[in-house]
Amino acid sequence: MPVDSVIFGRRLRTDPARFEVVKNALASAAEEMKIVLAKTAYSPLLKVAGDYSCGIFDIAGNMVAQGPDLPIHLGSMPDAVRAVVRAFPDAAPGDVFIHNDPYQGGSHLPDVNVVAPAYFKGRLLGFGCVRAHWPDIGSATPGSYGAVTEIYGEGLRLPPVRLYRAGQPDPGIEAIIFANVRTPTERLGDLRAQVAANRRSEARLCALAEKYGADELLGIMDEVQDYSETMMRAALRGIPDGEASFRDIFDGDGVIAPGETEDRTFAVELRIVKSGDSISVDFTGSDPQVAGPMNAPLTVTASGVFCALKMIVDPKSLIPPNSGCWRPVSVTAPEGCVVNARLPAPVVYANHEMSHRIADMVMAAMFRITPTTVMAGSQGTSAVVTFGGTDYRSGERFVSYESVKGGFGARPVKDGINAVASTISNMMNTPIEILEMSFPLRVEEYAIVPDSGGPGTWRGGLGVRRTWRVLERDAHAAVCCERTVTPPFGLAGGSPGAAATLTLRHPDGSARRLTSKGAFVAPAGSVLVVEAPGSGGYGPPSGRNRAALAEDVVDGYVTAEAARRDYEDDTV
Amino acid sequence: MAWRIGIDIGGTFTDVALVEETSGRIAIAKVLTTPNDFGQAVIGGIRQGLRQNGIDPADVSLLSHATTVVTNALLENKGARAGFVATKGFRDLLELRRSSRSDLYDLFQDAPAVLVPRRWRYEITERIDAQGEVVTPLDESEIEGIAAAISDAGLETIAISLMFSFLNDSHERRLGARLRKLLPGVTVYLSCDVLPEIREFERASTTAVCASVGPLLAGYLDRLQRTTASLGLPDLHVMGSSGGVIDIAEALRMPAAVVESGPAAGVIAAGLAGRQLGLSDVISFDMGGTTAKASVIAGGEIAVTAEYEVGGSGSAKRWQNGTGHPIRVPVIDLAEVSAGGGSIAWVDPGGSLRVGPHSAGAAPGPAGYGAGGVRPTVTDADLVLGYLDRESLLGGALVVDLAAAERAIETDVARPLGLTVPEAAARIAEIVNANMAEALRIVSIERGHDARSFSLIAFGGAGPVHAAALAEELQIPEVIIPPIPGAFSALGLVASDLKRDYVRTLYADLGSVDPARVAEAFALMEQSGRAMLDTAQVPEERRAMPRLMDVRYRRQAYELTVPLPDGRVTRASLDAAMAAFHAKHELTYGHANRAEAVQLVNLRLTAIGRLPGLLLAQRGDAGVARIRRRDVWFPATGFVATPVHWRPGLVEGETISGPAIVEALDSTVVIPPGWTARIDGTGFIRMSRS
Repeated sequence: MPVDSVIFGRRLRTDPARFEVVKNALASAAEEMKIVLAKTAYSPLLKVAGDYSCGIFDIAGNMVAQGPDLPIHLGSMPDAVRAVVRAFPDAAPGDVFIHNDPYQGGSHLPDVNVVAPAYFKGRLLGFGCVRAHWPDIGSATPGSYGAVTEIYGEGLRLPPVRLYRAGQPDPGIEAIIFANVRTPTERLGDLRAQVAANRRSEARLCALAEKYGADELLGIMDEVQDYSETMMRAALRGIPDGEASFRDIFDGDGVIAPGETEDRTFAVELRIVKSGDSISVDFTGSDPQVAGPMNAPLTVTASGVFCALKMIVDPKSLIPPNSGCWRPVSVTAPEGCVVNARLPAPVVYANHEMSHRIADMVMAAMFRITPTTVMAGSQGTSAVVTFGGTDYRSGERFVSYESVKGGFGARPVKDGINAVASTISNMMNTPIEILEMSFPLRVEEYAIVPDSGGPGTWRGGLGVRRTWRVLERDAHAAVCCERTVTPPFGLAGGSPGAAATLTLRHPDGSARRLTSKGAFVAPAGSVLVVEAPGSGGYGPPSGRNRAALAEDVVDGYVTAEAARRDYEDDTV
Repeated sequence: MAWRIGIDIGGTFTDVALVEETSGRIAIAKVLTTPNDFGQAVIGGIRQGLRQNGIDPADVSLLSHATTVVTNALLENKGARAGFVATKGFRDLLELRRSSRSDLYDLFQDAPAVLVPRRWRYEITERIDAQGEVVTPLDESEIEGIAAAISDAGLETIAISLMFSFLNDSHERRLGARLRKLLPGVTVYLSCDVLPEIREFERASTTAVCASVGPLLAGYLDRLQRTTASLGLPDLHVMGSSGGVIDIAEALRMPAAVVESGPAAGVIAAGLAGRQLGLSDVISFDMGGTTAKASVIAGGEIAVTAEYEVGGSGSAKRWQNGTGHPIRVPVIDLAEVSAGGGSIAWVDPGGSLRVGPHSAGAAPGPAGYGAGGVRPTVTDADLVLGYLDRESLLGGALVVDLAAAERAIETDVARPLGLTVPEAAARIAEIVNANMAEALRIVSIERGHDARSFSLIAFGGAGPVHAAALAEELQIPEVIIPPIPGAFSALGLVASDLKRDYVRTLYADLGSVDPARVAEAFALMEQSGRAMLDTAQVPEERRAMPRLMDVRYRRQAYELTVPLPDGRVTRASLDAAMAAFHAKHELTYGHANRAEAVQLVNLRLTAIGRLPGLLLAQRGDAGVARIRRRDVWFPATGFVATPVHWRPGLVEGETISGPAIVEALDSTVVIPPGWTARIDGTGFIRMSRS
């Protein structure tokens, strides 16, 4: 509905038409960066699976526009750019900076930020930042997903450093990087793609400055953030005030403590206070940081909060995501707890596993405040699988990284969605034919798992089974998959979705269940089976429309047995 | 006298264009579209056109047609009962898609569309590996069971897409042959016939789209063909999405190839206009009631893309996996934005003025049309600003309710923003122009073309109204309004060559591949192309078979398409293609790596039967000239008394200085201050900044 802007106590400073034009141009500049990256990158993870985000930032490092990328990077990308701003007051045209330090705004070591300033006639307009997940950043495990106990074991940690000076790469820095990662040729291709994407952002910012003048452009880059803040506050005012808490149990950190036989679970707790046009989320009561890499820097935690709140208060997606959006939101946690980790805690799993879960937990808590604009628990994991070793066909080293998608939670008026990325993630799968051409693996099944959607008036989305056979030679593999112990919750009387399972079938026919996280050797001929979780249902199963249930049974989404058991329906 | 006839079915009107080959004389028949049976309007329009112009059906040399049947069937879920057979373990491929969602934050988004319900997906034990070798032989004992299930379900068609069939099609072909024999009434589509290309989901999706719309298309074309034949007209052709007409047999082999039939025709028409005017770099701009479409013709070449989704919500930003069904066939590369005469203006909660994406459509329509619309649209703004006649449109057929247009703008835009009605109308025009500029930017600047060296050819009902303002925005120096802009797409149909695209995957290192292997693969496609042209009786001198290659750096996933020089395939010609790739990579992405290995992925061949050249012309008659006056608003001047010319009265050599308006029955041309328009010898209006 059109709403009079004066209601919100302010008007745009810029002419509304001019503002709209430049706002869209900034968003499309971020989107163009994304296209350049995908089309020129070398690793399947970037070029076909899309594990990266691109953004345009102001001269202080605040996000002005993000491409239609991964919400997981909402919270921490501005901090990553700010770290560069802080470290390089002497930035100059032609510079490009690189860093991946989770303790300076990075998310985990594989996510490498490439940041470049944009200058127009010698004047700094802002920055482009491309955060891309490299399939390998060193460490003892191909794919850098081992369960280690310090960040020093997780791979190459780069503080903000100058990678290009006057448009030319620094051979020394590049030599350090490529001496420390597996498959350096592929990484070089990815890095060049990141630089090319930043060049595109600089070109677009300069074109806008040329057209409207640098002062006008910089003014609008500020105002775009104010605009998002105004809209966010208006949206927050649109939901009731209230307070709510939620506590959830995590599978573990991948490290089995001395004297124990199983990975120990831990807890995270959050408390939300929504009042007027602002909201605060506090994590007091969460467990201390853990030994393995399930520790989240606070910015990663914030990404999960931001993503869920945006879906809840702006479900039609009208507010451009940028730093202004989050001014009405405060995220706090005691230092040294598992959602606000201190150096040298390892972090690699937490990036997606913690932010996924926190987004779900915010939904669960907000259910008590605004029950009609939340969804039941989604898959809550990126279900990461890595393989590495030597390709028997070429003799070359390889590293493969994939994420398996499960269910998207049931909504108050709709079923969940089967087999699709939820909340903080929007990664794509790697086409099987491209995977097998690139790596010595054979996918033997990629299928929807019946009965994995949580029963409910609105059924949860179904999870997915994907299996890989390791061909000819042993491979180093790693998994990282939450929700093997506690399943995704239902809401309003809906039941939970199916939990994840991880199984390794040996060539001799024996099989073993894997711990939720960690590295292992997958022998030649063995088969890894990953079942990504379904999602929770919404509303009691007794309220399910019987015709819809019958259709589900015909299509095999729900088996007849489950229909009788979970829905008490004997007619099917 | 030889006439060509083109038929374009739009949402409201079915346009029939008749063009005489030697004189270029154009005649148009416009009849109301008959949505329940499109053929009725087609026949009515053809009859009317023949009668009014005294044309003998025996003098018609070409009959071609743009159809929306395929797109509509998918949008409205009216496809056939289609099944899908996959390799064991992969029956859910069409639902698993690429696993990303179409909107990041929309909590209530719908699940992506699925073409084949799960109950009609089947599996067969077999497997080919990444080297094209058989890992698991086809289990023939399962085929009868699958056939029985298909038969029991009463399916009309089946799509078969097995793993790596693009490398080794033996299993797919064997299975297809057995099912055809066991199920004589069921049409079987094989992915290795439809699209022998890597990426299992996209290949399966393209094949399933064919299976879903094939029967419908076959029935429709068959009925139409029989009726046109009964009028004594020649064989019917259909516009393909890649911008050439194809015969009915090809359309039925590959129904996915006719999805963007209508928009393609407009771009073809723009290409013809560009050629006729001696312009090799033009932007085609088509603005109708709900959307605006832009496409680039650079160096005389129409841009074609292989990434497209059909049946989803239209979007300028194709990049994000959408809600439709991906098809991997060449489609004219056009950007489409929700910006048309019916787009609705509104103020969002942040105080920003927006236009679209919602449209008032044909019903209730713009407020000023007096048919019940109360929301302000772009057309309402155009009325208030005087771009459109404030009293009546369509030659008096539509009486305008200016007060209603003003009221709608006042309520929804002017008051909330503290503006006067004309100020608000001007902002609406500015924003819709900016939205459309985005579409133009996507096809030009994003593709590495400098819009400042292009001419803009504007058509569609609303295109000529906004073209000059858009050109200002993107610094395009010249705007061209062709004859009959309101039915220009139909003209494109009569100007299109006969064209069929072939593709084969050949995975090899371009730097070391044996030229004989490349030559052999092309020879197979050339053979098919020759057979097609023989059937169409295209004489040798009008044939062309350009060869293209999809190549990329070895570790990339997305190819760029480059030409392979004509003549024998040699190391030198392959090296020339490689050099062209490096250059194109640099142009497109800003960097190239000449030391890196280049991977050959697909070979493409297009068989073309060229039509004799055609001159588009519509000469004026000074005897009907007339000039009226009305107040029209321009950014530079505000409201100013402006002459309004009658287009049929304009003759060769006349120049008109802006501000001015040129009206015709089908469209209105706005010439802003500082622009000068000249009428050329064939009735084109060419405008540039003075």
